[in-house]
Amino acid sequence: MELTVFQIAEGVSRATRAMAGLEQELNAADAKLGDGDTGSMLARVIGAMAASEPQAARSVSDVFGRLARAGMSATGSSLGTLFASSLLALSKQTREWERVDWEDLSGLLAAARDGMMARGNAKLGDKTVLDALDAVAAAVAGKVDAEGAARAAREAVDRVILEFRGRPCRMGRAKFFAEKSVGLDDPGMLAFAALTKAVAKIPAKRNLTP
Amino acid sequence: MKKLINDPAHYVDETLDGLTLAFPSLVRDGAAGRVIRRAEGVTRGKVGIASGGGFGHLPLFTGYVGRGLIDSCAIGNVFEGPNIDSCVDAIRLADGGRGVLRLYGNYGGDRMNFDMAGEVLEDEGIRCTTVLGTDDIASGGPDEIGRRRGVAGLIYAYKAAGASADRGADLEEVTRIAAKAVAATRTIGVGLAPCRLPSAAKPSFELAEDEIEMGIGIHGEPGIWRDKLRSADAIADEMVDRLLADLPAQTGGEVSVLVNGLGATPQEELFILYRRVRKRLDDAGVNVVQPLVGNYVTSMEMQGASVSLFHLDEELKTLLRAPAECPFWRVD
Repeated sequence: MELTVFQIAEGVSRATRAMAGLEQELNAADAKLGDGDTGSMLARVIGAMAASEPQAARSVSDVFGRLARAGMSATGSSLGTLFASSLLALSKQTREWERVDWEDLSGLLAAARDGMMARGNAKLGDKTVLDALDAVAAAVAGKVDAEGAARAAREAVDRVILEFRGRPCRMGRAKFFAEKSVGLDDPGMLAFAALTKAVAKIPAKRNLTP
Repeated sequence: MKKLINDPAHYVDETLDGLTLAFPSLVRDGAAGRVIRRAEGVTRGKVGIASGGGFGHLPLFTGYVGRGLIDSCAIGNVFEGPNIDSCVDAIRLADGGRGVLRLYGNYGGDRMNFDMAGEVLEDEGIRCTTVLGTDDIASGGPDEIGRRRGVAGLIYAYKAAGASADRGADLEEVTRIAAKAVAATRTIGVGLAPCRLPSAAKPSFELAEDEIEMGIGIHGEPGIWRDKLRSADAIADEMVDRLLADLPAQTGGEVSVLVNGLGATPQEELFILYRRVRKRLDDAGVNVVQPLVGNYVTSMEMQGASVSLFHLDEELKTLLRAPAECPFWRVD
């Protein structure tokens, strides 16, 4: 099975709808460690991505490129820029590809992770969005269909949030008071987890009884 | 907390419209209108200085576009760095043919976008250098100055580098002066009440009615301690003590002092603070020249103040005294 432009565009639609409920929740999480605008910034970035008409893209590479450009125009925040940079990395990675299979997803997410690391200078273990992305990249390895990937991704983000909650933030504004960040969720990681859950939809079980 | 706004989504652009209508020496430019540059245009043969950062700190950053200061400024949304396109536009609009110094605060989003803008511009032949403001002593120890945030003291780097560029210095020299000014500046802030971003339902942090926070960041980042409110003199004493305990490598016994309001503190209280800061510096044998007291770098309606010391030698003093003019700072 393959990952298509339609599915990516559908994912953007789901993320847009999810942000309506997540915006203030993420702002509140960010207010504990930063300046309290992560939700509003992401709502604007994802809104701009939805407005870029991803469904009209010619290829998976093209749709990632559209989303990256829309994101980069909508913000200059570190999280937003990293998010857009990772999409640009995916666009470059898939440029010559005729099709993208679900089993390619793990490698693509790893490329996005590496692109973010190069741009933002954060490392794995710093308690940032990178750790959540890394967990999902590992979890979806070997998954050959949307449902398997979605289930693995959802479990991975739940796990990684819990795993890092007791650790200190070592990047972003929270790095200046790392000890106070223990017990709190990193807003970027939290946003990634919430959006992953919104995008990675598991189909409802079919009712086989008449 | 009330705000006199129309729509949070239009906050930045409507402010920029009003700012440029009120001060015709500034104009909006760039593809998205998110660059402020000098109305008179770029000066051919002069090194350009481009700055930028998140909005919500007026007069920083855009208010310092002017003669003897900076040439252009890329503007982000409230407390967000400017996007890449605006950084590219700001650098292009500052270029007078002798290169551009990118001079801005040490924040991740700003750094990423100015760096990417530099990559985009590599083929256009515009030479660029970068100096980051790192004056906030609460955000890192003396052994990790490169990690520190840039706050109110950035305006001293604007002033020194702007004067150097106006005198015809080349890019390397303007960059050296900017770096020297940053290295000579130390700032600490204190917060009494939070700000609220136009798009956020709640204030950016909570501080009890009878509490203050020492070392607070310009976006409300937590500081060194939080405790009961105390007298202005006691607050000033601690700020001066901390600043004098964190001296630059080279000091000449003279400073310019900036007592800066964060947005919601009355000018009167800033003078009460300055009165004590000045006494403490006099007692320490530090000579004060060209003091600044007012709202120079704010944080929306945050209540509080910062104190910056710009340690001077003859070279920096001469540049500080050089003529400059922008809507918020004039030196004749």
